[in-house]
Amino acid sequence: MVAQHIVGLNDRGVSESIGFLLIFTIVIVGIGLVTLYGYPLLLKQQVSADEKIMEKNMIVLQNDVKSLAYKTVPYKETSMKIGSGSLSIYNSSHQPSFSNITISDSSGTIIYKFEPGEMRYESISAQTDISLQNGAVILRPRLSGGSVMLAEPRWFYDAPTQTMVINLINFTSEGIMAREGIGTIRMKMGDYNYTQLTPANPVTVIYTPNPSMDYSVAWDNYFMKIPGMAHDQPPGSGTPITYTLPPVNSLVIKTYEVKIESI
Amino acid sequence: MARLNDDAQWIVLMGFLVSFSFFFLALVINQSTVVGQTTAESVIEFPKNDIRDVRSVIHQSLNVASPVFNDVESDIKIISMNRKSSVVNYSFFSAANATYIQIHYNNGVTEYNENWTIV
Repeated sequence: MVAQHIVGLNDRGVSESIGFLLIFTIVIVGIGLVTLYGYPLLLKQQVSADEKIMEKNMIVLQNDVKSLAYKTVPYKETSMKIGSGSLSIYNSSHQPSFSNITISDSSGTIIYKFEPGEMRYESISAQTDISLQNGAVILRPRLSGGSVMLAEPRWFYDAPTQTMVINLINFTSEGIMAREGIGTIRMKMGDYNYTQLTPANPVTVIYTPNPSMDYSVAWDNYFMKIPGMAHDQPPGSGTPITYTLPPVNSLVIKTYEVKIESI
Repeated sequence: MARLNDDAQWIVLMGFLVSFSFFFLALVINQSTVVGQTTAESVIEFPKNDIRDVRSVIHQSLNVASPVFNDVESDIKIISMNRKSSVVNYSFFSAANATYIQIHYNNGVTEYNENWTIV
């Protein structure tokens, strides 16, 4: 017996139960820390991941709208998962309107109060809205002011020919529709209107935002990118902003109607 | 006291390695959807065939006799604006044994200019 103790490790002070207790405590403390700090962080990550996915989804929907409008595709549908929030359609006849656009030249009004309507994703916990309106995808924090354009519509000014091309897209639907979870968004091409004219300069575009849903900062940033464009006041106050276009020789206004069949 | 048999600790280590590699793979795959989408979009949006069509139509229109020529020219411009939302403008002049055509094409995403010499 004595010889064995000398050869082997001296483990007279080693207790299996105390060792177990120590390891068990470390495990419990570890689990506790993760539940306390890690889990909320994980949820937050999930929300922001859902929001990122919806940003991409809205750009996919914008591509559908683009195909309908610019490529004369008659019908499009896309399936997607709408997580951490809801996707709703507010059609162009929804009151109060979220924004409207009036286009006029010095001899009179060409387009009076065009109301595009919008398709909006409202995130529950992240407090941000992503809106598809008039061919643009716009992100807007709900509580703080300001907005940013994620994908631009296709308005352009061709300097060599002094041609301004304005594409106006509105959504129509039978009432307000909303969806959460997995769904299919089906849309159809409706009316199409085309106007080409030689305007009496200066041509003005008046953008009227809704003060409670103000996307004017994003639109202002987009409009002011067009060279020679001028505005009468900075955006964000909720009041109508008048934009004066550069000298236009030929003004092209195309209005498209996109019918949302279901969401 | 019974000793722990630690001959198979490498299994645990391999488990760590595999899980970490999955983690990095997930990161890469997450990025790839964005990249794929943007690339596909820009490929679809590039109006290669539109430009080719316009070129060939302009080339054909040069053979049209002069009174109709202006109508054909304005038709080309109106149709490309109406159907393809693109501004098309062109002018040409004929020298001794060559025709020079200047084509300007712009659809808001792609702008294309060409000086085309036909001998």
